[in-house]
Amino acid sequence: MIKKIFILSICVGIFSFTACMVYDRVYHFALETDFSRIINPATLAGLNVLISLLAGILYWILWRLFNINSTFIFRILFMMTSFGAILIPLSASLPFDIKNPELFPGFAIPMLFFPIVGWFTLEPFFLLKKQTSIK
Amino acid sequence: MRKFIYPVLAAVLMVGSAFTIKLSQDWKVNDDYTIKFTSKDPSGVFSGLKGTVIFDDKDLATSKFDVTVDASTINTGNGMKNTHAKSEKWFDTDKFTLIKFISKEITASGAGYQVKGTLEIHGVAKEVSLPFAFQKTDTGGLFTSSFPINRLDYNINTAEPDHGASVLTVDLSIPVTKP
Repeated sequence: MIKKIFILSICVGIFSFTACMVYDRVYHFALETDFSRIINPATLAGLNVLISLLAGILYWILWRLFNINSTFIFRILFMMTSFGAILIPLSASLPFDIKNPELFPGFAIPMLFFPIVGWFTLEPFFLLKKQTSIK
Repeated sequence: MRKFIYPVLAAVLMVGSAFTIKLSQDWKVNDDYTIKFTSKDPSGVFSGLKGTVIFDDKDLATSKFDVTVDASTINTGNGMKNTHAKSEKWFDTDKFTLIKFISKEITASGAGYQVKGTLEIHGVAKEVSLPFAFQKTDTGGLFTSSFPINRLDYNINTAEPDHGASVLTVDLSIPVTKP
């Protein structure tokens, strides 16, 4: 189980990093902003892998504690954490020479949800094998 | 011969009067100036500095500052704080777009100078005396100044005197060149 969780975490990290990079480029060209001094590819790679590995550790701990209900609890916690993290870009004070800081939350907030989107997307391939059919 | 007296006299007067006119030392403000304010909370910068800077350290009587700063250029580094600062509660930049300073008198003070003048912020004009220093450089000069300012003196969010700091320190660094 721990191996599956680890591989899933790495895959989620790569998935969300790729999504962040695509969004970074789209945002940069659409709004002519440059937040590369705050968030650059190295930061994105590090953060996404770190977040997905932490999520994997949390999943494993919950699985050990609650087993059958762990997925449900994990998803709730992951979603709440992602929502709570919105406060970070909203309250961040950027260096004064960076223009248009009001566009920073629009840049960073969607990225906060890429790890959970990645997890929900890839989880069925690794952890959820049985699917309940509705009769 | 007499008919040349008046034209010659006129020419002498014109040439002589030209020497009485002193050339004022105008300065052009470079783009890399900083107008910074700091406090416990908030801190930030202004841009949008415009106006006339006439300064001659050997002739302070003819020296004069007449400058404006666009209040809507405030940047605290945080979008929400910027919006808040421009709102009616704080600078009300739709109504009071410019921060103005017009000097009245410049005097030498120790190693630097003291400028007295009218500072207008948020539609409130006050007589102030601000210290500054001028350092000559190869290409021009550098004006620097640091002074405290109380936002409550200018009716900025007087309803919430404890919301953020009331006294802020303003630091100016204004490089200039000869036009």
